[in-house]
Amino acid sequence: MKELRVKLGAARSHLTTALESLGLSLPILGLFAALAIIPAFVSDQYVLTLMISCLLFGAQAMAFDFTAGFINVVNFGFSGLVGLGAYTSALLVLKLGVDPWFGLIGATVAAALAGLIIGLLTLRLSGIFAALMAWFAGLTLLSVATVLVDLTRGMLGLNVPLFLDTAARRPYYYILLPIAIGVYIVVRVIANSDVGLACRAIGQNLDMARASGVQPKKYRVVNFTVSSAIAGLLGGYYAHYLGILTPNVMATSHTIEVLVLAYIGGRGSIWGGLVAAFLIIPIFEYLKPLMEIRLVLYGAFLVVATILYPQGLAGLVEALRAWIRRPDETGDQEQVNLSLK
Amino acid sequence: MLLTDIVDLLVTGIVRGGIYALMALGLALVFGVMNVCNFAHGELYMVGAFAAYFAFAQFGLPPLLAILFAGVIGFAFGVVIEVSVFYPLRKRVKEEWVINTFLVTVGLSFMLQNLSFVIWGHKYRGIEAYWTGSLRITPGMTISLDRVASLLIAAATIVIFWLFLRRTQLGRAIRAVSQDERGAALVGIDLDRIHALTFGLSSMLAAVAGASLLSVTQTYPAMGAKPLLSSWLVVTMVGLGNVSGSVVGGFIVGILEAGSYYFLGAGWQTAISLVVLMLILVLKPSGLFGTQVKGVLER
Repeated sequence: MKELRVKLGAARSHLTTALESLGLSLPILGLFAALAIIPAFVSDQYVLTLMISCLLFGAQAMAFDFTAGFINVVNFGFSGLVGLGAYTSALLVLKLGVDPWFGLIGATVAAALAGLIIGLLTLRLSGIFAALMAWFAGLTLLSVATVLVDLTRGMLGLNVPLFLDTAARRPYYYILLPIAIGVYIVVRVIANSDVGLACRAIGQNLDMARASGVQPKKYRVVNFTVSSAIAGLLGGYYAHYLGILTPNVMATSHTIEVLVLAYIGGRGSIWGGLVAAFLIIPIFEYLKPLMEIRLVLYGAFLVVATILYPQGLAGLVEALRAWIRRPDETGDQEQVNLSLK
Repeated sequence: MLLTDIVDLLVTGIVRGGIYALMALGLALVFGVMNVCNFAHGELYMVGAFAAYFAFAQFGLPPLLAILFAGVIGFAFGVVIEVSVFYPLRKRVKEEWVINTFLVTVGLSFMLQNLSFVIWGHKYRGIEAYWTGSLRITPGMTISLDRVASLLIAAATIVIFWLFLRRTQLGRAIRAVSQDERGAALVGIDLDRIHALTFGLSSMLAAVAGASLLSVTQTYPAMGAKPLLSSWLVVTMVGLGNVSGSVVGGFIVGILEAGSYYFLGAGWQTAISLVVLMLILVLKPSGLFGTQVKGVLER
């Protein structure tokens, strides 16, 4: 009897470690469970559409945070890669008659290749130069998509076949959910591995990272490629979910929306972007009658958050946790930090 | 390709380049002095264009005064932005300054652009011309007086600005801060004042650029995107923070764009200049005339 209990205990701790290594701590599992269950009871198409938007933007923010929060390079051409994925998948389906599901693979591969190239190009550049280079690459994709009218119909837009023959939103949500969870797990696993550790080291202090034998170049390229591949995959989903594709998907403003979510969520937290998406997008949807004023608020939000609380949601949660766990030790902690400085 | 075509091309490129140089100069200035990556520069161009539009078309000011008025409004905007945004940012957040300024200005750009949509709506406003008439350059090519004027205004502004930086006490103080902030503070320069002045001047340059092109590009809240991109192209090409290089770079990009328009047709010029720029960045990461500017090449 006792033996069995010990075995069970061991099995449980095995399970927790296995889950932890996938980045699935209890709150995160709860979040995913809620995301999986709630839509089953929602029949309002409008709410479901909104949830898809949150999930889609949240997943993009996670991929974005993987470069911005870890190697500290802002991929300002992010929407270009999303758009590249979207157009690749759409054109594969339209011109070659490929199934949309295989289109997604094409989208991922194309964006990964582009990410690899951008990663290689930005290798020698320091932070802001790399961001600029990525921006220029994204804009190049945008202007090429606009100019190649024979292929993309330019600003007129493409009519893209959908995944399913239904207008109902719920199936689309359940297509996206595993993708989003997969994105989280992939990013988390890499972040927890040696590669992730090296990336974090590069982002925090490049010289120190070099001194401890980390090769920044390799990790930067790997990081960029993975993040871009995810962007492409999500772009492919976007194309076959919406059914209409214009070069506007690559506009810089789209990158900014993702960037705001990632930064409000908390740099380097990964989950922060997803949570931020589910908090911020509904609020701004609710404010829709305000028209452009809500975009003014969006900008103001970014400015104020950067100045007042750059740690974002993740920092807030961290602070709350510390406060709950040891309400009287935080003071000591601060003193230790001070003396270390 | 005929000789006249080459002349056409050069003239178009130079006229275009004058404005790019003006924009890029302001961008390079705030980067060189304050290490700020300003992504709201295009919105200050927009502010300048609107200010000049109302001054010229509504209040009936003469052209030069209207452009001057736009410059003053731009300056005021710049000072307000520095005092209300960058000053607190500088005091509160010590780490990752460059990336933070980038985020803040992206937010500012979003705010200003949409605020302008709220106030003025989705409507294009333009003027026929500041000065009517045109100039004949080659038998096949005439150029409107306004375009010539915009080039002259750009050139005059750049020269005045240059003299200001070189010859006046304040200009020297700005250059001192760009070279060594601590040293400048040690000899008694008020850094906060110089920062406010620098950002104000940079905004003024953008506003003047927007104002002097009023008859060519109509005012519209989102009009800043194109000049923003072009001026970033210029400053990245010559090396971030390189003030004198950005003037030369403005003309290079102007001619490059005119050339790719001529050879490849509309639409391709952005892609071409972007690709050329990326090549430059790869081959010479610190820009064409790259010099060591503080904080940029820290790695």
